[in-house]
Amino acid sequence: MIAQQIINAVSLGGVYALLALGLAIVFSIVGLINFAHGELMTLSGYALLASLVLGFPFPVAVLVAVSCGALAAVAMERIAFRPMRGASVTSLLLTSFAVSSLLKVVFQNGISARPQAVAMPGWMTGAFSFGDFTIGVGPSISIVVSALALIALEVFLRRSVTGTAMRAAAEDFDVVRLMGIPASRIIATAFLLSGLLAGLAAMLWVAQRASVDPLMGFTPVLKAFIAAVVGGLGSLPGAVAGGFLLGVIEVLLQATLPGAIAPYRDAIVLSGVIAVLLVRPQGLIPAVRAQRS
Amino acid sequence: MLSVEALKIRYGEVEAVRRVDLTVDSGEIIALVGANGAGKSSTLGAVAGLVPVASGKVIFDGVDITGLTPEAIARKGVALVPEGRRIFASLTVADNLRLGGAVHQPVAEARLREEEMLELFPILRRYYRVKGGNLSGGEQQMLAIARALMGKPRMILLDEPSLGLAPQLIDTVFDLIAELRRKGLTILLVEQNVALALEIADRAVVLANGEVVLSGTAKELASSDLVRQAYLGA
Repeated sequence: MIAQQIINAVSLGGVYALLALGLAIVFSIVGLINFAHGELMTLSGYALLASLVLGFPFPVAVLVAVSCGALAAVAMERIAFRPMRGASVTSLLLTSFAVSSLLKVVFQNGISARPQAVAMPGWMTGAFSFGDFTIGVGPSISIVVSALALIALEVFLRRSVTGTAMRAAAEDFDVVRLMGIPASRIIATAFLLSGLLAGLAAMLWVAQRASVDPLMGFTPVLKAFIAAVVGGLGSLPGAVAGGFLLGVIEVLLQATLPGAIAPYRDAIVLSGVIAVLLVRPQGLIPAVRAQRS
Repeated sequence: MLSVEALKIRYGEVEAVRRVDLTVDSGEIIALVGANGAGKSSTLGAVAGLVPVASGKVIFDGVDITGLTPEAIARKGVALVPEGRRIFASLTVADNLRLGGAVHQPVAEARLREEEMLELFPILRRYYRVKGGNLSGGEQQMLAIARALMGKPRMILLDEPSLGLAPQLIDTVFDLIAELRRKGLTILLVEQNVALALEIADRAVVLANGEVVLSGTAKELASSDLVRQAYLGA
């Protein structure tokens, strides 16, 4: 029972961490909190549904769905955010709200406002048994996928030139450009990565619920936003820490709160967030910024 | 090699540079001197593409580079070492150097170039795996110059390389600048320490309130009454 709860907590935390990382990567480079991040997740969910309906084998459908998330993020940057480059943070924020609302309406009117069932393969709902306790296949996959994604991202950011340039751009974008490295490449890569992470998170989210709906991305991305703020907005390790922390706390409260208090779970979590920010306004692991005179 | 013609720079309502004309010939060191707020850094920023040009032209090697992006100008062989060094504090010395040479040459050549830089700046070899933010001011200045040189620029723009450095370090930095010139690099130097700048430069341009008030060979300027009174305190 306890093992099962730990698995659930880590698995939920992993999804939050992937989403929070996507938000943090874009924020660290362009200073934008992309509120349309949830719609990238929703879009990937529908892409999975469509691929399965079209009869693609499951692994291919997942690949298509995740790629759709990544490409949609790049397209979003090209179409909506690039023309706004140099605009104030407020304008960027409003643009992201506009993109988010627009996509929601497109999903509602173009597909359906109601949840659509996604036929997940049967083995996903199975469980491993180790002696006395059993662990769900779904949450286990979720943990493995999150871990692999985090490791792959870390390797990319440490080893590749573009990854290194992204870490540098988070600190001082102008100087990265002075090195001859194109701003567009850095920004496009940031969006590509955030879309990739949103797509992966969507797969894990859908795997546990077996349905998609137009508002699917809203709640998890809201949680991810909270995780990113608690971790330290723009800090990548902070986003991961915040994501796992939030996942663990939510599952812990879910499991331990008595029935009468259970509906107040989110209120309790958010009070905790306020408490953390009162003590550490920059978040748990603050982002590094260049000191400018 | 570089010519700046009737350059004007505005920040909102404020005219930071009213009119600057200057030329830098291949292999020269030109010093751009003047008081705080005279428009020196803005001029360098405009040449490098970081600061928008209100009017006028910047021509490098016969090509009009006015209004190009900083990355495009860097690829043409102009490198700016910005004021305050602005090294990437959270990246290692190795990564700082790597980014400096990332787009200008194939990886194998960049390695050779890095080796040359580590020969030229032994201190950077010692701190190769140390984060840039943990270096001292002088070491950071070395790193900033080495990072700019990684891209094999033909011209380097140095913005206040002596700022905030101890006197003996300033000498080291200026010896280095002289050595770079001997190796054929063209240098546009912005410096508040006018005496030091005139010692090393071939020619100098004096800015005041966003305009060129005087220009000539470094020797002429060092002996001019205006420069002696205003900047050399003699």
